[in-house]
Amino acid sequence: MAATGSSFSGKAAIVGIGETGYMRGTDQSILQMILAASMTAINDAGLKPSDVDAVIPPPGFVAWDEIAAHLGIPDVRYTSCPQMGGASPTAGLTTAAMAIAMGLAEVVLLPIGWNGYSALRPRPDARPNRRRFSAAFFDVVKNYYAPYGLRSAPWWYSLYLQRYVKEYNVPPEAAGAVALACRAHAQLNDKAMMRGKPLTMDDYLASPYITEPLRKLDCCVETDCAAAVIVTSAERAKDLPHVPVTILGGAEGHPNRPDELINRKDVLDLGLHLAAPRAFKMAGVTPADMDFLQVYDCFTYVVLLELEALGYAKRGEAAGFVKDGNIQLGGKFPLNTHGGLMSQGHCWGMNHIVEATRQLRHDAGPAQVKDCELGLVTGYGDLGDGSIAILARGAR
Amino acid sequence: MTDFPEFKVPRPDELDLEFYQAVVKAGVLHVQRCNACGTWRHPATYYCPQCASGDYSFAAASGRAKVYSYTVSHVSVEPQWQARAPYVTIVAELEEGPRLIATARDIPANKVAIGMPIRIVPETKSPDFAVFWAESVQGDSR
Repeated sequence: MAATGSSFSGKAAIVGIGETGYMRGTDQSILQMILAASMTAINDAGLKPSDVDAVIPPPGFVAWDEIAAHLGIPDVRYTSCPQMGGASPTAGLTTAAMAIAMGLAEVVLLPIGWNGYSALRPRPDARPNRRRFSAAFFDVVKNYYAPYGLRSAPWWYSLYLQRYVKEYNVPPEAAGAVALACRAHAQLNDKAMMRGKPLTMDDYLASPYITEPLRKLDCCVETDCAAAVIVTSAERAKDLPHVPVTILGGAEGHPNRPDELINRKDVLDLGLHLAAPRAFKMAGVTPADMDFLQVYDCFTYVVLLELEALGYAKRGEAAGFVKDGNIQLGGKFPLNTHGGLMSQGHCWGMNHIVEATRQLRHDAGPAQVKDCELGLVTGYGDLGDGSIAILARGAR
Repeated sequence: MTDFPEFKVPRPDELDLEFYQAVVKAGVLHVQRCNACGTWRHPATYYCPQCASGDYSFAAASGRAKVYSYTVSHVSVEPQWQARAPYVTIVAELEEGPRLIATARDIPANKVAIGMPIRIVPETKSPDFAVFWAESVQGDSR
């Protein structure tokens, strides 16, 4: 399949996955959780820490050198870090595949994690993080948004999502359909924070506004967790225990301008609008070929915009795509079959990559999409960065 | 809302500092403008995205604007804002082109709408910082 000759398409595969539980409250540090998820992923791949020769660390909180030191990785041949928040893990797949295709590395570890519940809430027992992220938008927030009572992501994104809703008359039921699909899928997942808490459209519509158009149930859940994957060459993947999940295509894209939310020609153009066509072209497949969609779901309305960016609906028309069970298991394009950030937990989208891998191994339990062969994962980073990976079952 | 809720006044640097100092010094809205091609831009950047010139100044803007987008916040983690909830925050599109954020002074949640004409008025908070109010205006929407 590997469509474009000189790309990394088909040359690297996900061969190991690991994740901690998804919790509200933990005694573990971020580093401990990241190391635990990493060790699980290395073991799952049938490898040892000494086999790892590249680390793509999270864009904040924990650094590559301490990960290597604590795991006992003796020879890090390559390290690099996409700095784009929630778009980083999926963008990291591209970086890993590239490094492998170019011969710079053979076994790449990509971990991420945080104390998103325990450290970031204003709580008396909060454990502040030692390291934060490096991005100019923090200054933009400090100097232009925060003084106005816009302190964190729901308040920032409401500024453009309200325009989306008003300009295209997007009904709340469309966002609700995303929340309901994630929640329904979480009922099948032992590791989902919202397992045992089913959701109806009436519940959703009764959810109070945080900042319009975002209701409480439009927002993902604050979580303590970590997850990791191992990527290696298609060649080496042949000898490892699991069916390889081949990286067919990957790309990133960023809004213009990337550091600020409201001074864009069209505030509804995400990075993913640029990234998606690039990735589909590299993979040589189309949106219609996908068997499932693991879409970065920080907020329901952002998912609607991403579905449009991916080509499943025209601008303003995602409401028609998400209705009638189309994005639920059994529908044509099951979305976030693990429950997503909305209902499994917020692990920066690395949990979406873990779930995509499980699906394509045909190891997704009751959430299995029958006989799936192709799927996609997206990432979304502050303020609008987009990343996408197109994944396939087995060698290609 | 007539008085602006308390907040930790930022200490901007580089071009953000130049922008705010220009506003504070004049007491009226100023926005960065390219000296070569005249394009207005915000937040300030070292080079013009239109013509790549690095020659700029901060020029007086009219303050005339329209509501480009907005949000009504019902919840805040900050007590001083929670006390004002629901509060209206506006993305103002200046007639010069750039957009900036402002707090609605006399526009209630049930009256705010995209496209409505507003006026942007700064309020000095320190020698290096000001906040912007969005005020309703009479007349047509240009």
